[in-house]
Parts: sequence; structure tokens; C-alpha cells
Amino acid sequence: MSEPPAGTTLVLGLGNPILGDDGVGWRVVEEIEAVLGASTPASPGACDPGPDRVEVDRLSLGGLRLMERLIGYERAILVDAIATGEAPPGTVRCLRLDDLPDRGRDRLASAHDSSLGAALVLGRALGAQLPVAPWIVAVEADLDVEVTDQLSPAVAGAVPRAAAEVLRLLGLETAGMGKGSADGA
Amino acid sequence: MQRITIDPITRLEGHGKIEIFLDEHGDVANTYFQIPELRGFERFCVGRPVEEMPVLTNRICGVCPEAHHMAAAKAADAVYHVTPPRPARLLRELLYSGFYFTDHTTHFYALGGPDFIVGPDAPVSERSILGVVRKVGLEIGGRVIQARRSGHRVIEIIGGRGVHPVTAVPGGMTKSITEAERAEIEEIGRWAIEFAQGSLQLFDQIVLNDPAYRDLLTGEAYTDRTYYMGLVDDGQRPNFYDGRVRVVAPDGEPLGSYEPAEYTDWIAEHVEPWTYLKFPYLKRVGWKGFVDGKESGVYVASPLARLNVADGMATPLAQAEFERFFATLAPEPSASGRHGMVHNRLATHWARLIELLYAAERMLELARDPEITSDDVRTVPTEKPTEGVGTVEAPRGTLTHHYWTDERGLLTRVNLVVGTTNNYAPISMSVRRAAQSFIRSGTVVTDGLLNRVEMAFRSYDPCFGCATHSLPGQMPLEVTIHDADGAIVDVLRQYC
Repeated sequence: MSEPPAGTTLVLGLGNPILGDDGVGWRVVEEIEAVLGASTPASPGACDPGPDRVEVDRLSLGGLRLMERLIGYERAILVDAIATGEAPPGTVRCLRLDDLPDRGRDRLASAHDSSLGAALVLGRALGAQLPVAPWIVAVEADLDVEVTDQLSPAVAGAVPRAAAEVLRLLGLETAGMGKGSADGA
Repeated sequence: MQRITIDPITRLEGHGKIEIFLDEHGDVANTYFQIPELRGFERFCVGRPVEEMPVLTNRICGVCPEAHHMAAAKAADAVYHVTPPRPARLLRELLYSGFYFTDHTTHFYALGGPDFIVGPDAPVSERSILGVVRKVGLEIGGRVIQARRSGHRVIEIIGGRGVHPVTAVPGGMTKSITEAERAEIEEIGRWAIEFAQGSLQLFDQIVLNDPAYRDLLTGEAYTDRTYYMGLVDDGQRPNFYDGRVRVVAPDGEPLGSYEPAEYTDWIAEHVEPWTYLKFPYLKRVGWKGFVDGKESGVYVASPLARLNVADGMATPLAQAEFERFFATLAPEPSASGRHGMVHNRLATHWARLIELLYAAERMLELARDPEITSDDVRTVPTEKPTEGVGTVEAPRGTLTHHYWTDERGLLTRVNLVVGTTNNYAPISMSVRRAAQSFIRSGTVVTDGLLNRVEMAFRSYDPCFGCATHSLPGQMPLEVTIHDADGAIVDVLRQYC
């Protein structure tokens, strides 16, 4: 619960690891940890790849709880599944939070939580230090409410490309990770 | 018949879909409220070691992982025929009190707030937690965030993580807490009591002192006279972590109480062709359809239900609030001599705040227990595993996990009765009432209908989804209205 050091970037894999393609964010940050050399896959990993510090974690929550997890970080990269239906499953996109429609901004996102956009506005209003414009590396998925810890082939195939995209955002491009640029970016 | 739908656009968050059929006069003939089912969970679990369940079932739901963690640990205790030592049970209840404190705070301010603090008729742009903060001020807004942080801190100290705790295992806990951690929780408990009292004062000022709100709380529009269910201790007072399940009739007369393991003797499930989900009802009373009254086996499990089934609260400040609650909303004693019964669903918000105060007081009480820092936190199982049931009160209703294993402790069968499932029939009834109020002779009051539906089901704090997060971040609700011939006459959509 302590504040992160100044200049830290948080890479957060979002999703439910037992809900099929919804768990893709977790798989992508596993790859990031492997590249960064973090060795604690079940707990927040931290390493120091250069002048800027990077922290990696996983979270199965959104809205207020997600906002609270972002407090104190200057930059954040969220990796998650997205179901727009506008692109084939496995398409990787690099978005800013503002690029997403936030129809929940002035409403409740669900019966239980606010949207991340509304939560960030609230957090800032209350004086919390939050990343200015979190990046979202989104993997298109055809989501179903089916319990499994397996990704579909199309989404599993997108994991290296999404990881490469995260590394690019971190300024840590690595040869051999993915195919360089993301599909549909 | 005519047909109205409330429906999903994304499946990420789970969704509610409501279809309303009108008769030839344009009045509501019937309503169907569908919520998605989490498919394949049992199949996913079978073959896994039962001790994985407290962590695995954490992932069923992003809203109440701690409730699943506790119910799973208790079911695993039962599978191994082991009773955790007292300090372990205290630690689990302490963690759980911290969770309740966070969850009830969030519900009142972020979810119930738009209806009660800002107002049910406020413009859409104000009906959010941002609107709540604009109304109550930044200082209280900051205290809400502090309350969430405090609850998460208690969960982190005892459960190893701020969300998705990992320390409850068959026979007890994997770790004890230090004196310094105990002292930190004690401090949080003291602060939490003040926060809960302040929240009740806010409810007084904004809701009870406002004649329009009082009318909503005491009127018939949100009222169904059903049975109620909740876990109680030996003194018939609510306990979130342990106890017997008590059931009380709409007129206040106790139907009886049972050990969680006897749940199949008490609860049966009604099947409807239009939904995958089943409707639990009281076996002894029977299924009479989506109707209220003493002859109908429909029951509610919620904060309101827990207060209705209780004879009092186990902590002094919550007890005083309990008395005030019934004196205000149901001043006449019930026929059986117990306190009166409160059937208005919107009163659930007040009941939730009384539980918030109880959770805070209980946190402090447990943090001061001389055994809370004991190292005796686990009884290692030695018996052959078989079958077991674990029940806790989740914030949104009685939660039961039932596991069967082979002699190696590998799961052969899993059955879960989750909080919202209990309330499926009464939520459906509340939705129908909302529809009937806002659709008359073919005239549909769009905003009124959607807000009314939303307010009705939010009072139950239902859990529709099992995906644990959402992008883009919304839960769409779609209402389709059909005419007497089945043709669609209107589709109303709202992101709520």
C-alpha cells in the first residue's frame, strides 16, 4: 500500500484468468515479466530496466478499485480483452482511455461500480495523483461466459503481439517479440 | 400480447435483459427478467483438489471474492471434517468484517447514492458517484475513499492481498497477525465506527428528513410481502460469517432455522422455460408463482432480509439503530410478538447502513479479542475428505458452497447457491411492479420506467455478471416492449 517511487510505470494485466479470453491481459503481462526478468509471477513484480522503473501486476477488477490501484503512478499501461465486434478476434489495438466510449461516465458502469473514466475523474477531484492518460493495449475477443483457463487460438496467437506493443510503449523494443507492430493499431 | 426488452450490447460485464408483454388494452400482461448464467464452472472444478477452491472461487465474481473465499474455506473445512481453532475463526470473521465495511460503503455512496443522495428525479448527468460527491462535498468523498482503503487494508493484513485473499485454507488460516497489525486494525475499527455513524446521519438528513423520500420508503410501490432469510447467531442476531439460517414469514412469524448443510431440505428450485437460471423457493411453503404473501415460497436474502429475520443486533450502536429502523418503518409489532416487518425494498439501503455500523463495531471487537494474535490458527486435517457445505452471508444474500470429493480430496461435484440467485424471483417481481407503474393503456413513461426498474433492482445489489471487469465499462440495460400480437413496439436502452 506504500506509494510507488516517482517516475514508475505500472503495467497492469486486467481480466479474469478463468473466463477464457477475458484472461488475455494476464498472459500478456506474464510475457512482459519474462522479458523484464521479474521472477514472481503470482505477485506484483518490480524491476528496473533503466532510468524508469516498471511495475507489473494483475487485477481482476475495474472502476473504483482499478483507479485506487493506479494512485501514485505517473504512467500506466492496461492490458485487457475488448469486445467491440468491429475487428476479428486477436486484433491488437493500442488505445488511450479517452478513445473508448465511456457511456458510463455520468452513470454507473454496472450495478456495482463506476466506469474507470468516472473513477479517474473522482480520484483526481479528491486530490489523488493518477496517470494522466493511461494507455490500453486491447486484444479483441469474442467473449462468452464460459469458465475455462484456456485462450481461444486467435487470442492466444495475439499474446506476443500485444506484449511487443507494451514493450514498445515502455521504450523497450525487443527483437523477436511479436511482429513489430500491432494489427489494426 | 405486446412485447418491452432491457438488453446487452457487450457480454463483458454480464447484462440484464427485460422483456415486457402488454395485453390488448396496452397494460402489462407479463415481464421476463433474464440474467446470464456462468456456464461450465462445475466442469472446470471437477478433478481439482478441494483446497484450491478458496482461491479459485474468488474468481467467480469480481464483486464479492471475499465472500466466495470464506464460503469455499468453510465448505473445505466440512469436506475434511475439521473445525478451525477459535483464533482462525476470529481472523476469518475479522477479514470478512473489513470486506463488509468496504462493500457496503461502496454500495451506499457509489450505487445507492445516485438514487438517494442525489435524488431519483435528478438529471441523468448527476446520477453517478460524481454527482454524489458534488452533493455531499469533497470532504465526505475523501472519507469514502479512505473507508474503502481501510477495509482493503484489513483484508490485506489478514488475507495476504487487498483483493482476492489467499490465506483461508481447510482447517484454518495460513498465517496469524502480529501485535502491530492488530493495533492497526483496532485503529481502523475505531475510525470505521465514526464513519458508519456519519453515514447514518447523512441518511437521516437527506432521506428521512425529506417528505418525498419518506413516502418512497413507506409507500407500496416497492413493496412485496415475502419471506426473508439470513444467518443468525444463538441470540437470533445477524452474523455474516457463521450461524444457522433463519427463515421468517411475511407476518413476522419464524418459519424455523436450519444448519447450512440441511439447505436441500429447505430450498427447492423452480424452473421457467424462458431463463437458464432457476428460482429458489421455500420447499415447505411451495412455489405459487411470482406472487408475494404467506402462501408463496418466494423469499429474499439481503440486508433488509437479515434485519427482518433478526431479533436484534450483536453490537450496541447497531442495536440502537435496529430499534430506530423498526420503530420508524414498522412501529406495530407483528402478530407473533416480534418487531414489525419492513417490506419496502428501498429500506434495504437503510438496513445496509445499519449493517455497515455493525461490521465496524465487530471489527473493533474482534481486533480487541485476546486470542486474535494467537499462532494457533490451523487444525491440520487428518480425516478422509468426503462432502461438505459452507455458508456465509454475502452482502447480497446467503451464499452456499457444496462440494463432494473422492478419498484423495479431488472434487467430483460442486454446487453453488449464490446471493443473487436467492433473489431472482423477488427481483423479477419488483421489475414487474415498476413496469406496471409506468405503462398504462399503452402509454410508456420512458425515463420513469428505466429509472424505476434500475432503482428496484439496485436495492437488491444484484450480481449479474461474472466477468470481473469491463471495457468499455458499462452495463447496458435494454427493455423491449411487445404488443398483444408479440410485435415489438418499443426498445428502451440505458447504460446504468
